[in-house]
Amino acid sequence: MTAAQIRFLTLSRREVNRFMKIKKQTIGAPLLETFLYISVFGAALGSRIDKLHGIDYVVFVIPGLIMMAWAINAFSNNASSILQQKFQGAIQDQLSSPASPLELLLAFSLGGFMRGLVVAVLTFIAASILVDLPVDHILILLPGLFLVGFFFAQLGVLIGVRAEQFDDVAIAQTFVLQPLIFLGGVFYSASLLPEPFQTLTHFNPVYYMIALVRYGFLGYSEANVALSLLFLTLATAALFAFNLRLFSRGYKLRA
Amino acid sequence: MSDRALHIENLGKRYPTGVEALRDVSLDVEGGEFFGLLGPNGAGKSTLIHCATGLAQPTSGTIRVFGHDAIGDYGEARQLVGLAPQEINLDWFLTVEETLDYHAGYFGMPKRERRERARELIETFSLTEKRDERTRTLSGGMKRRLVLARALMHKPRLLILDEPTAGVDIELRLELWHYVRRINDEGTTILLTTHYIEEAEQLCDKIAFINEGQIVAQGSSAELSATYGVTGLEDAYLTLVGRKELSRSVIQELAS
Repeated sequence: MTAAQIRFLTLSRREVNRFMKIKKQTIGAPLLETFLYISVFGAALGSRIDKLHGIDYVVFVIPGLIMMAWAINAFSNNASSILQQKFQGAIQDQLSSPASPLELLLAFSLGGFMRGLVVAVLTFIAASILVDLPVDHILILLPGLFLVGFFFAQLGVLIGVRAEQFDDVAIAQTFVLQPLIFLGGVFYSASLLPEPFQTLTHFNPVYYMIALVRYGFLGYSEANVALSLLFLTLATAALFAFNLRLFSRGYKLRA
Repeated sequence: MSDRALHIENLGKRYPTGVEALRDVSLDVEGGEFFGLLGPNGAGKSTLIHCATGLAQPTSGTIRVFGHDAIGDYGEARQLVGLAPQEINLDWFLTVEETLDYHAGYFGMPKRERRERARELIETFSLTEKRDERTRTLSGGMKRRLVLARALMHKPRLLILDEPTAGVDIELRLELWHYVRRINDEGTTILLTTHYIEEAEQLCDKIAFINEGQIVAQGSSAELSATYGVTGLEDAYLTLVGRKELSRSVIQELAS
């Protein structure tokens, strides 16, 4: 293994190791949260709700929940990890190493991405045991979910780098991220909304992410799948390029 | 590879707040030297060190570490530098052994070599019993020892110690002195910043005074005393900071 490979592996291992050391909080809690959503919205309320576009309500919400779990965990892991390391000053150890801005950015991104992946896979396995969850278009589902995970991992890195206190991360998550995800149609079909909310939903980027993932699982989509995938790819690439520029300039990382 | 461990030329650093921390600083540390950097709080010592290790970005000037441009060729330059910073900056999530292992990994050291090196340093710095403990459970002295061990993990040719003995007890201070003197004898170049005049006198071959972001004088302890027309390094320092009245000789005179 080359020195660069050892370096990247170690930088990434540190990020994965961090959340694995506190897995009750980083894996257990989000899993419980997702199951509570499935229980309340799926099992309890779902039995009183008609099928949506011919799909049982509980099955309809699960793809959105899986996407939400990946997104929120990818985001919050990276934002918290970077901010904590900035607070402790421990991030200086990585910053004063020979690691390039690209290596640092990818390694910091990977932590949240992996945590989101673990929670999403466990949710998928458990949901598959509870209900009959189809996977209709795996070739759309996998890139879709990976892009969503990577996009929110990047967003977490961005907020973590910019944040100066833990409030900054909490505010971004509570007042921006969660409303966008909830109003993006995790728990309902946007077509059921009255105007102007139905139109407004189309301006929410998360709507297209949910539509994409739902299509991958259920074969049903309210949005144009190809355009959604293209949009998500472009948005992820743009955010990654933006973060890489910040890392190269040392923005809020190097004095 | 140049034998000059650190070559700093016309280095300037202005923070976004407008504070000019370094002004046209030029400094050379020869390979194998034990070099001291003395100056009052806020003089620019840590900023200079941060510029040399990539933690701060200079606004102007050049820095070379054994001939490698610390900005353009930062990978090679940083590989050769070990930094023990002034503030304890250990990762709370890691154990003592992991702290050392991860650090060496960041510098590309293979696993087997990392294990051996970590074992050796854990023993040297008397951290064996704490090797599996998380860093936040360590005492202040242990944390200080671990920070130094971490800086040495990747076998740097230039070791930068930013006030390594600030706030440590006398035994640990002397222990650290013995250790850094030994590794200097073995060939590692050392750049030390300190507030303790005695520390600089005991350890350093050459000392530079830094004040208000500028190197104002440099030389051996005797040369600096001669420059300021006083009898010792402490008086030279007090003259530099404009507090000659605090000189022990003045106080002794007053007492008698």
